[in-house]
Amino acid sequence: MSSDYEISDEENEYYPYDEEDEEMADAEEDGSASEIEVDGFGGDFKVGARSERKIYEVEYSPLSQPDVERIMQADIDHISSIFGVEPSVAAILLRHLNWNKEKLIEKYMDNASAVAVAAGVELPPREPSPPPARSSSSRPATTGPQRTTRRSSSETKGSKGKRASPPIEETGPFVCPICFDDSQTEFLALMCDHKFCASCWKEYITSKVRTEAECMITCMAEGCNIAAPDPFVDKALADDRETWTRYQELLVRQFVSCIPHLKFCPYPSCTYTVSCPSAATKSSLSQIVPIVTCGASQTHVFCFGCPIDADHRPVVCAVARMWLKKCQDDSETANWIKSNTKECSKCQSTIEKNGGCNHMTCKKCKYEFCWVCMGPWTEHGTSWYSCNRYDEKASVEARDAQTRSRASLERYLHYYNRWANHEQSAKLSMELYAKTEKKMEEMQITSELTWIQVQFMKKAVDIVHKCRMTLKWTYAMAYYLAPGNHKELFEDNQRDLERAVEELSELIEAPIDPETIMTLRQKVTDKTVYVQKRNEILLEDTAKGYLEERWSWNTTVEGFEA
Amino acid sequence: MDARLRRVNKEIADCKNDKSSKITIDLVDDNPFHLIGGFDGPDGTPYEGGRFQVDIVIPDNYPFQPVKMKFITKVYHPNVSSASGAICLDILKDAWSPVLTLKSTLISLQSLLCSPEPRDPQDAEVAKHYMTSKSSFEDTARYWTMVYAGGPGGKNGAGKGSQGAERDEIAMAGLDRAHVAQFEALGFERAKVIDVLRRLNYRGANVANINDDRIVEELLK
Repeated sequence: MSSDYEISDEENEYYPYDEEDEEMADAEEDGSASEIEVDGFGGDFKVGARSERKIYEVEYSPLSQPDVERIMQADIDHISSIFGVEPSVAAILLRHLNWNKEKLIEKYMDNASAVAVAAGVELPPREPSPPPARSSSSRPATTGPQRTTRRSSSETKGSKGKRASPPIEETGPFVCPICFDDSQTEFLALMCDHKFCASCWKEYITSKVRTEAECMITCMAEGCNIAAPDPFVDKALADDRETWTRYQELLVRQFVSCIPHLKFCPYPSCTYTVSCPSAATKSSLSQIVPIVTCGASQTHVFCFGCPIDADHRPVVCAVARMWLKKCQDDSETANWIKSNTKECSKCQSTIEKNGGCNHMTCKKCKYEFCWVCMGPWTEHGTSWYSCNRYDEKASVEARDAQTRSRASLERYLHYYNRWANHEQSAKLSMELYAKTEKKMEEMQITSELTWIQVQFMKKAVDIVHKCRMTLKWTYAMAYYLAPGNHKELFEDNQRDLERAVEELSELIEAPIDPETIMTLRQKVTDKTVYVQKRNEILLEDTAKGYLEERWSWNTTVEGFEA
Repeated sequence: MDARLRRVNKEIADCKNDKSSKITIDLVDDNPFHLIGGFDGPDGTPYEGGRFQVDIVIPDNYPFQPVKMKFITKVYHPNVSSASGAICLDILKDAWSPVLTLKSTLISLQSLLCSPEPRDPQDAEVAKHYMTSKSSFEDTARYWTMVYAGGPGGKNGAGKGSQGAERDEIAMAGLDRAHVAQFEALGFERAKVIDVLRRLNYRGANVANINDDRIVEELLK
């Protein structure tokens, strides 16, 4: 039975019990069994991760859509075997409870019928005339597609033949209540027996899937909650394979969004998913920076913990978010205004004094006041160019407030400029890469070197780019780090890396001369190794710092409170 | 033929044939996808005797998407915006089913007038009025029916001339004439007094909860 589960080579761990165990009726036992399974599940993904993991890397495994489908199928099969229902019914039950298996098992054991009715896999109980073959059954009946055609009405694929749906006797042409088209010959109905023509079903499902991105399809009848199982959807869509594919994509998306340790790759039109159990909880995000790469492409780098589509190591998500928001918010414009302007004390317009005497006249409200004391000019009497009414205490306070504002602006700009500079340089290094490629070609011609031997340039450019990204984020981190020994050590590491990166950058841009190429090659290779090492030291140290809770911030950071 | 057009035509024809429900569906400029529906205010409600018109727009993938409906006739009802006529009704949103027709939807609107749902309001002010004093709310709703929907008493009930117009405004807002006069006497404009009292829901039992100072404060804003 575990043969569908292919991503694991530890199948015995995944299903540590055999089928008899799964049939156990005791709800409590079931709950614990599924817990074991969840643990086994988490362990599975270690297999996919690289063997030599650095401390600043997280364990994760990229999953393709078929992989996720297999995981879904495993859950569905599990529920299907416990409850003894069709897989398509199990799927609807799981979707209904957002793939929370424990909750589903608990609720189902509590009141199977209520869950089944709420999920739309069982008809709600009706008092006067119970529907045949279903009234006494407490478990949901099969909901295989029920297709009735005037030519053949016995086509019930997917149901175990239990369904005793009598062939519909046609008395006069059946008119579909939606399109009123009496030329239709094919009708479909769910277990609720609300019949509609096949083309209306197709239109309806297409509209739900395409325009509403909805994967929970219910019967078209008013107030009818009966859900359409997958085989029915498949059949109703007939030859529209595109919508069927989209439907399956939506199912996968719904599943992924419900499971905390899965995240969809945010890159456009990528269908991969990443599983990262260690970053599944919010609290873990203050300890690790879960940067992952999806299986589709090495360039699909994103953070599992936050919406940033890039590698923001070494800063944790909360700090990275704060920094980006600060840079974006233009909050520094306000800082500038604060340090360069005053407000008219009457109409509150912002005024920048760009010369002239202290006698100000507001352009807007024509209010005349003194720039120094902000009091009305009329009270100054004859002391035109100096203000002796100036209150000593107020002046000190005003000056202090202005200095503070200026200092914080300068501090921010210090970090921001370096951040922006590295970003800019990283972009330029991509241009440099194009030049380097040319250089490498040249080298192959002008020197004895082979293609493989000139690859050192490419490697060097890659490393420079990567390290500039790290450096960029170290400035965001340093901006928020509380002063102290730890911050100094951090800045030492930052300085060492920065110096090494700049030296390597310079080497890369050096002119190529066939005579010196061998020494250049040696230098670049050595430097590349050194830079890489420095980058690792910095990342390792910060990652360790998070685990040891060594870092303290100069502001409140989400996840670091207390 | 286009399935949507066929269906709409059939629905319009069905409505024409059915005389008993007194529900009408008319075309706006020969376009079968922009219609005007009409129905009578249900008996035994403040809307009795009125005729209500609804603007109907048929979306492209009707009947798989709900029709867009809003009241043309002004209605004083917690689930209908008193300003825009927008309707808060589940079947016009997520509870829509392709089986529903224009006629059945209009009937649903009719029954919405019978059973307001003030806990899920479209117009919060009207809902507040309803919750505070149902009888006062009903007076206002009846008055709106008379003025806008051609309800009974429209011809001779209201006075004529300037005095009548003034009374209209107060009755329209569901306020007590004495209350308006009281604040008007303080030197505030009548329109402003009506606006503030309506906003603060100065009606029925709620009058005791609102301090006069609070009203003056609002009036001075």
